[in-house]
Amino acid sequence: MEQDKVMIDYKHRQAGHCESGATSNLFNYYGVEMSEPMAFGIGNGLYFSYIPFLKLQYAPMMSFRNLPNTVFHRSMKYLGIDATVIKKFKEPKESMAALDRNLEKGIPTGLQVGVFNLTFFPPEYRMHYNMHNLVAYGKDGNDYWVSDTVMEFPQRITSEDLQRVRYAKGVFAPKGKMYWINNVKKDLDIKSAVEKGIKKTVYEMIKIPFPLIGVKGIHWLAKDLKKWPKKHGNETASFYLGQIIRMSEDFGTGGAGFRYIYGAFLKEAAEKFNNPELMEASKMMGNAANHWREFTYLGARNCKNRSKPEEDYGKLSDMLHEIADMEKAVYMKLDKIKI
Amino acid sequence: MEEEANPIYKNQAYGQFRELLYSYGADGKFEKKVGFHGESDRVTLQQAWDLFNDRIEDARQKVKAGIASPVLYYMEKTLVTPLDLSMHAGINVWRVKRHLKPNVFKRLSDKTLKKYAGAFNISVDQLKNVE
Repeated sequence: MEQDKVMIDYKHRQAGHCESGATSNLFNYYGVEMSEPMAFGIGNGLYFSYIPFLKLQYAPMMSFRNLPNTVFHRSMKYLGIDATVIKKFKEPKESMAALDRNLEKGIPTGLQVGVFNLTFFPPEYRMHYNMHNLVAYGKDGNDYWVSDTVMEFPQRITSEDLQRVRYAKGVFAPKGKMYWINNVKKDLDIKSAVEKGIKKTVYEMIKIPFPLIGVKGIHWLAKDLKKWPKKHGNETASFYLGQIIRMSEDFGTGGAGFRYIYGAFLKEAAEKFNNPELMEASKMMGNAANHWREFTYLGARNCKNRSKPEEDYGKLSDMLHEIADMEKAVYMKLDKIKI
Repeated sequence: MEEEANPIYKNQAYGQFRELLYSYGADGKFEKKVGFHGESDRVTLQQAWDLFNDRIEDARQKVKAGIASPVLYYMEKTLVTPLDLSMHAGINVWRVKRHLKPNVFKRLSDKTLKKYAGAFNISVDQLKNVE
């Protein structure tokens, strides 16, 4: 290992969600003021999918966020910024060399990593989750300085560990994916980007003709939730319910399955473009997010006590249906809004 | 959201990290705050790890009793299914499932053992001896 020291003057700011946080920090490095919710909204972070036939850590898979790298890729596309995404490297060594070259040029570089072997991550969260993002911005001998936006402070990680997490295996394997911004234009058309971002999110949440994605997916989940105690027994049903709550309230969601962040985005956009309709939509989204939180709170109580399950599951299922309707109203409203 | 670092739970390791949390107030404001996890998060995490630890302990007993091979124990310990393990180690799924039997495991070549050791991030000696 060569003994070199590179340190880019990169400002670490904590964020709710790893990828939109990384994206907004990268924007700020290049002199564009962009908050985390803004990056999240433009890059279509919001999503819902429920995949009962795939199991993640022994429970059905569901996701409250979009596929990895969507936020970065789409926000760059909609804003028309020159950015590079390298999807995979065949050789791990090659990818580390590419990272070193970037750092020497002074480019902070985003990396997709797996969480399981991430040394500085809280141990209780180290599950097989390959959609985490961090930004490498410095190298000191064998150690790299990385900014992981869900942590409070920047972290150090050794070269070997970084290589291991960049080549974590399994579903959505990162394969050494890296991304960075080349240069940023002076006059960014944020208005049209916001419009495109909202349009795409609305499409993904209510218009995809497939029952497991978007609002329909929430309804489907609600229907299934009711059947779990009879179908799988109380213990398993409670564990499955725990999975919904883990996915929506876990580390790096900002709470309530990203709904708070999206509401904050709508509010910011409303203030920026002086649009009362958007403000209304943000309030509706905020209420939906509060309902999500109520749902997780009640669900967690069920997980803790496991008492009177049939009643509880019926009630929780009704709550989910209600949430889905509330969210649908938001998207219907957003669909009609002209910014 | 509580501000205390995990007052409730038996395993004190859970919920010690502060994260950025959003919330929505009745006045229509979204607020950002750095704080500890809410109770619901802790409860479900505890629930998940209870299950994982049960499975790991169960696998250890099986290996000790000679019903299963160490691959099962390390598989449970790294929280993977045979399908995931086959991706991690680069071995076919049906072979991985076969290697869970102790008799088959004993006859494995060094090359295969190395693959497993690499996937579990341990040495071959550790793989052979479950503590």
